Amino acid sequence: MPIPYQEHTVYRTIQDLGEHIASRYPYESKFASVNGWRMHYIDEGPKDAPPVMFFHGNPTWGWLWRKVLPPFLEAGYRVIVPDQIGFGLSEHPHTPSAHSLDNHAANLVSLIDQLDLSNIFFVCHDWGGPTGLSALLTRQEKATAVAVMSTWAWREPSADFHRRKAPWGMLHAPLTGPHIMGRQGAFPGRSMYLSVVDRELMLEDSLTAYMSVTPDVGDRRLTWQWPRSIPINPDTDIAGDRFDWLEAGVRKLNIPATILWGREEVVFEASVFATHWKEEIWPHAEGPHMFTGNHFLQEDSGAEMGELLVEFASRHVPI
Amino acid sequence: MTVTIISERPSDTRSVPILTDPDVCHYPEFASFLSDTFGLADNPLKAPGLLDVDGRGYELIFIGRSGRPFPAAIEIAALVPGLKPMDEAQTTKDLWAILEWIIEGVGEPWTIDDLRTTAEIFRVLPE
Repeated sequence: MPIPYQEHTVYRTIQDLGEHIASRYPYESKFASVNGWRMHYIDEGPKDAPPVMFFHGNPTWGWLWRKVLPPFLEAGYRVIVPDQIGFGLSEHPHTPSAHSLDNHAANLVSLIDQLDLSNIFFVCHDWGGPTGLSALLTRQEKATAVAVMSTWAWREPSADFHRRKAPWGMLHAPLTGPHIMGRQGAFPGRSMYLSVVDRELMLEDSLTAYMSVTPDVGDRRLTWQWPRSIPINPDTDIAGDRFDWLEAGVRKLNIPATILWGREEVVFEASVFATHWKEEIWPHAEGPHMFTGNHFLQEDSGAEMGELLVEFASRHVPI
Repeated sequence: MTVTIISERPSDTRSVPILTDPDVCHYPEFASFLSDTFGLADNPLKAPGLLDVDGRGYELIFIGRSGRPFPAAIEIAALVPGLKPMDEAQTTKDLWAILEWIIEGVGEPWTIDDLRTTAEIFRVLPE
């Protein structure tokens, strides 16, 4: 159900984050109640235009897409960008079970239903893949096209990075994860600085926008809890069945698709992940289109990605 | 810094939570180390585990969760004298020593070297 935030001024909005951020993400904050949690999102462009939904991952929020959005708005599309529950200006629940993969995916389904969307172009990055694609499969009749970047949709990430104890294991292991990522703020702080190509630009232009919405230890819970849903450890796997379902579903998905990737990506290496998408999952997809960029490729090449995605949309999701 | 198990709670101290983890079973070897070290199998809800770090006290509060092995969760708290403010910088150093003590206790494939490497990458290794 929509939340009329004007009557609840305690909720922070984009405007509350200051001119530095609001001037470059100049959209109206909206809120919806999804499965009992308060979700922040933006909804811009004509309401009768095809909607494009952008799904972010860890540890970002809608701001990640700020350079990608203008080409869509200029072309006349409706853009909807939710902040996943636990990030951005959405509620940051401290209850651990709030952050299951199923619950996060269902939160996106709830938003899609409440906005009564159809003919949707899904654009998914990082955890926006497992969540956004799960939402897509749940409302498959509403999906018209899909784009993926630096993400996956199968049980086990197949790169060595996720099997190493340093740094990945230590970043989500008991106690060390909550300390390094949560208490010390390595996510989004230094992790994002290290995961772009132009680090000076990141420092000057963007990092404060990520850190300002996760200012306290409790705000950063999802940064270390979400990685625990990657089924690396069979003994304590909590999401493997969902990933199996997800992979089976996306393999059958036969809608226009495109793959975008960062040339300098080190977490989801293009040679492993982009190749897997193209050769194993979606042979019919366009791409992989390579951009200057590491894991957060939108920071380095957002505008160029926006132009490419709009061109793709113009052919498959015409206005 | 030296971390040692102590049996008596320092007197006239208050408990200040500094780190919580709702799922120490994510890698079961962590929960096993804590259970073995503090004898939790026989009496899971006894007094918290107590540690001394160079004369400063800490307690480990073990928490259960339905359907999960014990301990499912943990809170680590500093035992701060009276109503004095907690020395936050010192506490962070002590907490790091406790984390290294836990990693050493859990053992291979978890190593202090990997923990320190991770901390160096993210520049959170206490000086």
